[in-house]
Amino acid sequence: MQMDLIGETLFYRQFDNGLKAYVLPKKNYNKVYAVYSTRYGSIDSEFVVPGTGERLKVPEGIAHFLEHKMFEMSYGNVFDKFAELGTSSNAYTNYTNTTYLFSTTTAFEESLRLLLEFVETPYFTEDSVEKEKGIITQELRMYEDDPEWQVLLNLLKALYHRHPVREDIGGTVESIQKIDVDTLYKCYNTFYHPSNMVLFVTGAVEPEKVFDLIMEHEKNKELAPQDEIMRIYPEEPDTIYKHQVETKLSVSQPIFLMGFKDTEVGYDGEELLKKEITTSLLLEVLFGRSSVVYERLYEEGLIDDRFSFSYEGQKDYGFCTIGGETKDPVKLRDELVKSISEVKEKGLSREDFERVKKKYLGDFIQGFNSLEFIANSFVSYYHRNINIFDYPRFLKQVTFEEASRRLYSFFDFNRMAVSTVYPKN
Amino acid sequence: MNNLFTRKTLDNGINLYTCSTDKFKTITICAFIHQSLEKVTATKTALLPFVLKRGSHDFPSSRVINRYLEELYGADFGGDILKKGERQIIQFFIEMVNPMHVGAEDRILDEGLKLFKDVLLNPATEGSGFKKVYVEQEKDVLKRNIESLFNDKFSYAIERCFQEMCKDEPFSIYKYGSISDLQEINSENLYGYYKTVMSSSPIDIFVLGEVDEEQIYEKFNRIFSFERQEKKIPKTIVKKNVDREKFVEEKQDVNQGKLSIGFRTGTCYGDEDFYALIMFNSILGGGPHSKLFQNVREKESLAYYAFSRLEKTKGLMLVSCGIDFDNLEKTIDIIKKQIKDIKEGQISDYEFESSRRSLINSYREAADSPPMIISLYLDGIINGVEESIEEIIAKIQRVTKEDVVRVAGKVTLDTIYFLNKK
Repeated sequence: MQMDLIGETLFYRQFDNGLKAYVLPKKNYNKVYAVYSTRYGSIDSEFVVPGTGERLKVPEGIAHFLEHKMFEMSYGNVFDKFAELGTSSNAYTNYTNTTYLFSTTTAFEESLRLLLEFVETPYFTEDSVEKEKGIITQELRMYEDDPEWQVLLNLLKALYHRHPVREDIGGTVESIQKIDVDTLYKCYNTFYHPSNMVLFVTGAVEPEKVFDLIMEHEKNKELAPQDEIMRIYPEEPDTIYKHQVETKLSVSQPIFLMGFKDTEVGYDGEELLKKEITTSLLLEVLFGRSSVVYERLYEEGLIDDRFSFSYEGQKDYGFCTIGGETKDPVKLRDELVKSISEVKEKGLSREDFERVKKKYLGDFIQGFNSLEFIANSFVSYYHRNINIFDYPRFLKQVTFEEASRRLYSFFDFNRMAVSTVYPKN
Repeated sequence: MNNLFTRKTLDNGINLYTCSTDKFKTITICAFIHQSLEKVTATKTALLPFVLKRGSHDFPSSRVINRYLEELYGADFGGDILKKGERQIIQFFIEMVNPMHVGAEDRILDEGLKLFKDVLLNPATEGSGFKKVYVEQEKDVLKRNIESLFNDKFSYAIERCFQEMCKDEPFSIYKYGSISDLQEINSENLYGYYKTVMSSSPIDIFVLGEVDEEQIYEKFNRIFSFERQEKKIPKTIVKKNVDREKFVEEKQDVNQGKLSIGFRTGTCYGDEDFYALIMFNSILGGGPHSKLFQNVREKESLAYYAFSRLEKTKGLMLVSCGIDFDNLEKTIDIIKKQIKDIKEGQISDYEFESSRRSLINSYREAADSPPMIISLYLDGIINGVEESIEEIIAKIQRVTKEDVVRVAGKVTLDTIYFLNKK
């Protein structure tokens, strides 16, 4: 199967054990970038273990901990094997997925075999699990000193009563102490089944060769088919938990972040993509560099060009963030609220909306310069049942009327929270 | 990849580097205006791109500029400051989508150029200076920007280590200058300075994307036709004797200690030994294969990150890691031991070959990214080196363990900086 877009062709194949693989060849490139990703992130903290039916609640931060431990093999650390090939390898965990990756210019085939092998081979020992707690503790400490991360964590704690998106992806220094070998295996066996994963390769490769190599590797891995994983999320009210959260850190001036909780949730695929595009366009019209609001706040010295906004839309939750450093967080909040109210009163400008759509189309095309952007966006959308190749089509389809409607439903001040980091002393 | 860019000099002495390729979805234009890094001019230089970005004669405000960019399918446009060795560089760039991907409106390149030119050469003025309100607002933004380095403890610890280490050298000047020097800047003296900069600084312009090289040259020669008299930028001082190891400790209310250690290597890009030096750096702290990653992180679980990196124009090496406050001495001992081991030739085949392959991989990867390609060539221009990525790789191939040991012998620890808790 293949799909064409802006001079790129996407190839696709599904294997007998349920694994799906996608290849986007980039002939002029030197590099190959590959990701192997599972739909398992920090919010999957309670689930039913397939087969046994056991209902399990796991310590916060375990998906991320598991990501670290996957690099351990019976023969040692798989980082070392990649290094011998001159390949750089890494991984990341976010709220909804865990993704392993490599990039190479010389040893693609060996690297891909290695990626498949290590992600498909769990190997955890008590000693190495204990040792990892030291490394991850330092990773968490690093984030404790990161004001941008802290201001976001606090905002999510304010927006959500119970949903696990309010917990740090890495967990806490205390929660990770509770992680053990047995639970790691249970999480692995639940979420690292091929039917819950996707492989994406882009760069200097030929699709048929990639598929053949995967086939060769996967043919001996007979796995029992697995039903849809039962993920358990607590009942989350439409209301927010708190209107504001404040904390103090060693910073030079306050850092401000405002967010709205999305309550139109529960769907994925096309609907989710349309909602994401609509909401992002709205934010751009309201607060983008070409907006009157941005100009006014900048000239008043309330924001600078590090001011930013974004929308995150997942199946079970969604929120936007708006903010940056400011000398006066209270005034900035009032100004932002005032400006949203004004647009709600006067209505959206059709001209602004159409212009911003053009910008988003260009930004999407620009992204295709970067193999990392292509692969990481692909898997992120894939886990929400969206094909990234549909993006330009839906962008064109989103109407001014839909955006106008969303303006009133999404920017509901009852579901707005503010998080601020103030300087210590 | 061969020598990628065609170099031509415009009639007024500006260098134009063009490369026509359909590899990328965009056309990137980058201008670099070089200054010598000096206390008296650093803050003025730093302020310039931000004031210019605020508006020009034909595009009188940021908002007008941004609306225009959105119409050009979200072209990226910006200006900033780079510091490479003892050189401060004003950078302006515009990146436009290749018109063929959005329906053959090939005016995008010309319209992008129109903005680029106007912002650089035709700024918004009043009286005998820049528009006053823009200068005052940007002074305020720059002040906050300088202060906000403090928020990012990772970068802060690295910058502070370099500052302490190079106290008496221009290299200690922060790329955005200093808050105290901001006071005396006003719209008139900044405008005067701007004119001097444009007429006397070396300027390099890069164009990368699907373009007609001949046409591009003619366009630029027409646009950038003003009179210039270029001055020379003095060479960065690389060699300096270290009398004794310095230790600097600073206390803040933080949860993790940040350790930065600065070394002098006496070797910079352009020296014969440079390729041995980048191998040395890779073996020490250039990735998961390196001695720092293996020993500080994997064996002792002291840190989440532990790496070393080079400032290749000044010939400095910096080791950095985030650790528990109580582990300072232990970590320093381990780091010192790794350097001593390399000096004594204790480099395994695994460490050596992995370092070589990792370096080659990253140089080849750089050729897939427009900003990386341009950045590598700019480093070459600054250091008087003209070589392609393949030539660099060939030189890395030839480095032996003996070369690494020899270059390691020149590496001297200068300053240990530690950000501790209060």
